[in-house]
Amino acid sequence: MTRSDSRYVGASVRSKEAPRHVTGRGRFVDDLVLPRMLHAFVLRSPYAHARIVSANAGRAAHATGVYGVITPDDVVRLTTPFKPGRYAAGLRVPVPEYATAVGKVRYVGEPVAMVAASSRPEAEDALELIDVEYEPLPAIVTTEAAAAPDATLIYDELGTNVAWQGHVSFGDVDAAFARADRVVSANLGIHRYSSTPLEPFACLVDPTPERLTLYCNCQNPEVVYEAITEALGIDGVRVAVPDVGGGFGQKIHLIRKYAVLTALMAVQTGRPVKWIEDRSEHMMAAGHSCDQEFDVEAAVRNDGEVLGLRIADTDDVGGSVSTLTIHFTNKLNNLFNTYRVQNLRLEGRSVLTNKCPVVPNRGIGKPGMCFIWERMMDAVAQELGLDPIAVRRRNLVTQDQFPYTTPNGNIIGSGDYQGLLDRALKNIGYEDIRAQQKTGNDRLIGIGVVIGLEPGGRNAARDMAIFPKSKQMPGAGGVEGATVKIEKNGSVVFTLGAPSCGQSHETTAAQIVADVLGIPPDRISASGGWDSSLSPWGVSCANSGNNFHLYDIGAVHGAAMRVREKVLTLAAHLLKVDRSALDLRDGIVGRVPSAAPNSSADGPATITFAELGKIAYANQALLPEGFEGGLEATYYHSHPHADPGMLPDETGRVRAQYTFGSAAHAALVEVDPGTGRVKVLRYVIVSDNGTMINPSVVDGQIYGSAAHGISVALGEGFVYGDDGQLLTLTLLDYGKSTTLETPRIEIEHHPVPDPYTTLGQKAAGEGAAIPSPAAIASAVENALSPFGARVRRLPLTPERVWNLMHVSR
Amino acid sequence: MTHSVRITVNGEAYEGDVEPRALLVQFLREQLGLTGTHVGCVVGECGACSVLVDGVLVKSCLMLAVQANGREVTTIEGLRRGGRPHPVQEAFVNGFALQCGFCTPGFVMAAHALLARNPNPTEEEIRRDLSSNLCMCTGYVQIVEAVKSVGSDPGTGRHRGQTPERGDSTP
Repeated sequence: MTRSDSRYVGASVRSKEAPRHVTGRGRFVDDLVLPRMLHAFVLRSPYAHARIVSANAGRAAHATGVYGVITPDDVVRLTTPFKPGRYAAGLRVPVPEYATAVGKVRYVGEPVAMVAASSRPEAEDALELIDVEYEPLPAIVTTEAAAAPDATLIYDELGTNVAWQGHVSFGDVDAAFARADRVVSANLGIHRYSSTPLEPFACLVDPTPERLTLYCNCQNPEVVYEAITEALGIDGVRVAVPDVGGGFGQKIHLIRKYAVLTALMAVQTGRPVKWIEDRSEHMMAAGHSCDQEFDVEAAVRNDGEVLGLRIADTDDVGGSVSTLTIHFTNKLNNLFNTYRVQNLRLEGRSVLTNKCPVVPNRGIGKPGMCFIWERMMDAVAQELGLDPIAVRRRNLVTQDQFPYTTPNGNIIGSGDYQGLLDRALKNIGYEDIRAQQKTGNDRLIGIGVVIGLEPGGRNAARDMAIFPKSKQMPGAGGVEGATVKIEKNGSVVFTLGAPSCGQSHETTAAQIVADVLGIPPDRISASGGWDSSLSPWGVSCANSGNNFHLYDIGAVHGAAMRVREKVLTLAAHLLKVDRSALDLRDGIVGRVPSAAPNSSADGPATITFAELGKIAYANQALLPEGFEGGLEATYYHSHPHADPGMLPDETGRVRAQYTFGSAAHAALVEVDPGTGRVKVLRYVIVSDNGTMINPSVVDGQIYGSAAHGISVALGEGFVYGDDGQLLTLTLLDYGKSTTLETPRIEIEHHPVPDPYTTLGQKAAGEGAAIPSPAAIASAVENALSPFGARVRRLPLTPERVWNLMHVSR
Repeated sequence: MTHSVRITVNGEAYEGDVEPRALLVQFLREQLGLTGTHVGCVVGECGACSVLVDGVLVKSCLMLAVQANGREVTTIEGLRRGGRPHPVQEAFVNGFALQCGFCTPGFVMAAHALLARNPNPTEEEIRRDLSSNLCMCTGYVQIVEAVKSVGSDPGTGRHRGQTPERGDSTP
């Protein structure tokens, strides 16, 4: 297939997944039932910080219906601790971490024990009978308190709560500051939040004699696959991922604790065991995006050119070392945003506190990096008395610079940043709004326009940029497979190398296969959920990192091309024509009309996929010599930039991700002067996702991620008390936006194809969650300009906005 | 101790014993295997477990199974008519009004209940009504558009998505 003959790619082809979900026939882990299945429940720490003096299962073990109890002692005795992975690349001292707390609890909700019974109510009742004695320790809930010299240590092994300190530096930052006309500085902050997938964690383990099967709603199956293999010391492991009720990064990492606990319980009891997390458990212990604080200085010239940035980043990573540096290293993915600035130093500190551990979440690190750049662009404009759009334009990478290599090694294939800004300004009516603001009225209306990147396709070695001499490289570059098969009856089935959690992968992949094989999408289906025994998976098998568009699309396209070759070879042999005379359309292989006008007398002019299928699988006599039976192929895809720049060099330069979509966001807001409440009047996005495979699917991803970023900016988030108790245990307290608070988002597409991907596609997933917090901040600051207020921190709750107007500036 | 209940679900009568503390959603999922009704929060905030009880939209995590005794329940599995998807279901498919699908049954039931009361809701009315349900994936735009697209049947003035007649549902 060439880019010009796509029939289905580029069209909003009907969803493959939707018919089962609208009729209640999706299959999620909690929908699965196995014979003699037990139900497990997890006992969690009520304290933010405490020593575990003792944990006794005795009373619970004898309770009605109970078949098993696992205590920390059991976990230490029966499992090996997790290996520190690339998420903890900065960890310098080995710290064993198990599936439950051992010796100490370090956050409210940390798992301590598990009980399994013949029914869920019995298991829940038995939880109260597990006797755990705690010796409470001082709870540390701020990074300042944690970093104090006399602070109680959260991990004694580390000798400090500042668990990691390091930096990356590119260009000559000192020289940039030396030649600056002035330095603009700001202290910025982003709070704790999460995407709160509607389906919490879920595990079901079936311990059959030949191997242990885990049904799990994980995003990165490799994480739970390796966790169980290593923790239990078995290699008879199969992981199956059915429908997943949202992920957003939440289901990548901490879910491994529960996979191991459920597996251990299944092994101990010899029965299938199901564990389903409830909402409050998810809120307190399933992982948060971390609080981040940035002290930023920008070296600028009086004309608005930014010469360099210095950033001191403090990440509150909560009560675990297992994701110590991911929020820092993910900033490498969009370290320079859309700007051609050459000099930047980013210093990082990962500080432990007695709060929930941090995990990836919709863009992880990248929203913070975009927030830094876009807040500073506004700050520079204010300080220099320039227009904020003009300051951005002054610093953007220009079209003649593509493909553009950022100072830290990312290669941006294509883009049109000026064009995105032009269209966003036009669509929201920027000039008119500015003119109206000048005429003056009593309403506090503000506009903010920002620009950001959506990096896609992860380099598994990226995190080593802060630790280039590591001898434990966790894998590098990216590889992912897919299988395409024409069945004996002529229909087509494909198997992807990675699971999905709601991004229409079945629909999108079917469109690719449809175009390559010339068969309508309604005759193509996915073979089922992800299965470690059947899915062709590589290091890029992850429903994260915006991997699908690059790896899985490339893989399914490559597999379909191989099947196409087999089809042409077999059909040419059977039709007795040269294969160059053949074309595939609507599941029929036929002669191109102009190719061989007089050859039809020799035999049939066409042959269907079903006829080919019967022959390929069942009639060896008709196969050409040397033809491998069947019509199936597997292909593993990589990316041209995955080599040789996949490993960080001595300066920490690394191709962190491989494609870079971009978008301009324009927000128009109104602030209620009496209450501080912010209402989003309009929200406009102009987006470059490269070649779009299914525009309605792309729209959906943009709408959803923008809505989340806006909700984050305006107040959703986790709040802790001084004692380390989480005060936002429900979705209502947490402040999730409904249809009432979420604005009607307006999208215009401005696609610039990527030169390095299979079809010119770029990522389309979490992207709009990256610039949207910055856009809202910019708009609210503009609305508050009569007060001279500066928006430096999120969330912009009514209380904070009211204070910006009336108390603190 | 259990209670005997008789509950009509999607047109079929079920008799059985339930624990006093069993929620309606647990009865539907665990005893009847109607797993299309989902549990997202179990405290009435997310709406993933929305069903109709005697034609009224109910969050089935906020109702005990014993409270449904003698009543008629319609779940997402009961919306199909004559083997064909309900117009609201069709509109959600055509409008890309879902992503992961976990909230979807609840949204379809809520949209169906709204359209049965108000066949031609404005966007504002749709947004006010559907604020009973949460979706973490979509940003709601395509859900609202899908509900709008169902509209009224111009021939009868009746909404094509009205509550199904009794016995007209297939579990």
